[in-house]
Amino acid sequence: MTTLTPQERQDTLSTPTASTAGYPMKRLAQFYIVTGFIALFVGVMIGPLQALNYADVNLYNLPILRNIIKSYYQGLTLHGVLNALVFTQFFISGWMFYMPMRDLKVTPNMKFAWGTYIAMTLGVLIAAVPLLTNKASVLYTFYPPLQGSPLFYIGAALMVACSLLVGGQVVFEWFKWKRAHPKQITPLITYMSVATWMMWILASLGLVAEALILLIPWSLGLVSGIDPLIARTLFWWTGHPIVYFWLLPAYISWYGFMPRQAGGRLASDPLTRLAFAMFLLVSVPVGLHHQYSDPNISGNMKTIHMLLTFMVAVPSLLTAFSVTASLEDGARQRGGGGLVGWIRYLPWKNASFTAQVLAMISFIFGGAGGIVNASAVLDSVVRNTAWIPGHFHITVGTATTLSFMGIALWFIPHLTGKKLFAPKLALFSVWAWFWGMMIFAVGMHWQGLLGVSRRAQISAMAQNIYDNAHVPQVITGISGVVLLVASLAFFTTLFGTLLSKTVSDGEDVKIPWSEAISTHEDSKMARRLEALPALWLAAFVLVGLTYGPVLIPMILGRNLVPGYTNLW
Amino acid sequence: MLDHDKLQNAENIWLGVAVVMCVLLFTGVVASFLSGTFPLVSGGHASGIASTRVDPKNLAVTPFAKPGLRQEGTENELFMVAKVFSFDPAFVRVPAGVSINMHITSADVMHGFYIQGSNINLQIVPGQVTTLRYTFKYPGTYNVICNEYCGIGHHNMVTRFVVTPPTK
Ligand code: HEM
Ligand SMILES: [Cu+2]
Repeated sequence: MTTLTPQERQDTLSTPTASTAGYPMKRLAQFYIVTGFIALFVGVMIGPLQALNYADVNLYNLPILRNIIKSYYQGLTLHGVLNALVFTQFFISGWMFYMPMRDLKVTPNMKFAWGTYIAMTLGVLIAAVPLLTNKASVLYTFYPPLQGSPLFYIGAALMVACSLLVGGQVVFEWFKWKRAHPKQITPLITYMSVATWMMWILASLGLVAEALILLIPWSLGLVSGIDPLIARTLFWWTGHPIVYFWLLPAYISWYGFMPRQAGGRLASDPLTRLAFAMFLLVSVPVGLHHQYSDPNISGNMKTIHMLLTFMVAVPSLLTAFSVTASLEDGARQRGGGGLVGWIRYLPWKNASFTAQVLAMISFIFGGAGGIVNASAVLDSVVRNTAWIPGHFHITVGTATTLSFMGIALWFIPHLTGKKLFAPKLALFSVWAWFWGMMIFAVGMHWQGLLGVSRRAQISAMAQNIYDNAHVPQVITGISGVVLLVASLAFFTTLFGTLLSKTVSDGEDVKIPWSEAISTHEDSKMARRLEALPALWLAAFVLVGLTYGPVLIPMILGRNLVPGYTNLW
Repeated sequence: MLDHDKLQNAENIWLGVAVVMCVLLFTGVVASFLSGTFPLVSGGHASGIASTRVDPKNLAVTPFAKPGLRQEGTENELFMVAKVFSFDPAFVRVPAGVSINMHITSADVMHGFYIQGSNINLQIVPGQVTTLRYTFKYPGTYNVICNEYCGIGHHNMVTRFVVTPPTK
């Protein structure tokens, strides 16, 4: 296809700010994305050691390693924080800021935007001090009364608070745009981004409250005790919807850019909006499904959260349909045919595209596993076993991470004007990541069903209680090696690209804006769904209704206990 | 090329299928609560006993002062304390075929309580008592594993339940 999309036609006509090389958002987005990948690099280097632990191989006594990390659990804390919290948030703050601004053709207040970036990075550096000195080896869930250094909580809170400023700026620019264009329907990329940011702002309130009201004063010694159950409940208020904050930015690419990368069109613009509106509404009031086995929480409230959790599966099932249809459209336009024969006609040589298709395939299994976890009955079998890391490495660890890796393969050249270094190696790395994670998932899910605990240095246990798990242990070990190779290959292409010479202004690497088969012109649904603020308000009310009856009795009957700082 | 109407139709059907599927899943789980395979509703798994809170620094004034299995009236009550990095009592002998009320709390940080190969898998929170009723069906030795990170010795926090054949 060589014809320009309406977007691109507009792009070529519009003001220099939002569509040319000098666009100041480019540098900012580049900083966010690259900082994120540096965190991922460090985090991922620890992963294979953990996979080997789950193969009963203990490398943590090696002197070289001993000099860097004191224990398995310090390494695990770093792995969880850097990968799941730092990498994701920085990538998203670059991606889901740049794209809607460019989509609306506006330049936000750049001083404010850079200030946010600097403060967010400062947050990471502050938290890094206790993490690296083994003063906060409390894992990325930091359940009190395990008590890390106050710097850890302060740094983490600052970092998360900054993501709200990024989201706030996007929502603010959208409001401004709406006022200037009262009759128009929001362009799709912006719609998806704004809905996701609104969801995240509501979702993050739990963690922000936990940090500001409970953790920071307590770790500073201003109060003597903490209620671990309240803290845990606030944590999961944020802790589940955070997974949609990781996933939806990948969906933005799957819906908004992959159709064009495949040479086709998005199936339906209005239905895409519907999926995001549903996510805004029901992503947050679901956190109790992480607490089915907690004492002193009403069973009825647990059941309501379970129902809502099942409902969040609906927009994801819609996504599976839509995205597959748009890929099929692309493949048929490229000459493919047959019931499944068209699959061969997708652009498999394109590493960016391939990475994201593989990420989707991984999410089919990840999503199915998620439905298992959401069911209170089955959760009691798999809870806190190796099944759980098995599950989230094919969701956030692949559906999200491999999508972000794929996006980076065009986005970084677009932002920097550098040519992708070693595209063949990039293609190899995304396949290796996919297979590595698939093997990992088999090993870990299987170990989980045999009762092997997660978050445990099983390779250093005094007694052998997992004699039945040798086969899946070997499988997990192999996956660790495959993933090490995959990561090294990927980061070679990434850093190779960044270190190469700038050859253009980056505009030759086009943003793959996609057209839709069913557009939002004349769509009643699209018009109704413009009411994002009303949906947002409804989401707040729903969270109040589903968390009020849980938190109010907890707060009235709070039971403070002392902290422990020297257990690791 | 795919066309608009056909696609929309198929997508609507798919949406219907998705909703029905989720409703069925939910119904299945609720049926399991009601039938008692997973009695979330009636004082079983994970329901806890509301208002059962204790001071983890002063368990001496609670039934947790002397952990272990005992008979109170017609009920078998088992009290256990999790603390870094062991369970008290370190070893529990229970008869099969008898309903047991287990009460577990923590003397320090969060712990887990997972009976390997069963669906007893609980969060143990300091200050709160996790309670459930359970009847062991089959005699044998079961590992009980702390599956919530509690510190450097977490992976060695394991105990055993020996389920003896029914006495009659
Ligand atoms: C080279 C690739 C990777 C390998 C081999 C790997 C391996 C592992 C293993 C074996 C565990 C379980 C440790 C335990 O429960 O004791 C784990 C935990 C975890 N991984 Fe990864 N991982 C990789 C990449 C990632 C990525 C890309 C992400 C997310 C973006 C991620 C996020 C996490 C998180 C959040 C945990 C849980 C930490 C905790 O339980 O506190 N990992 N990883
Ligand atoms: Cu423990």
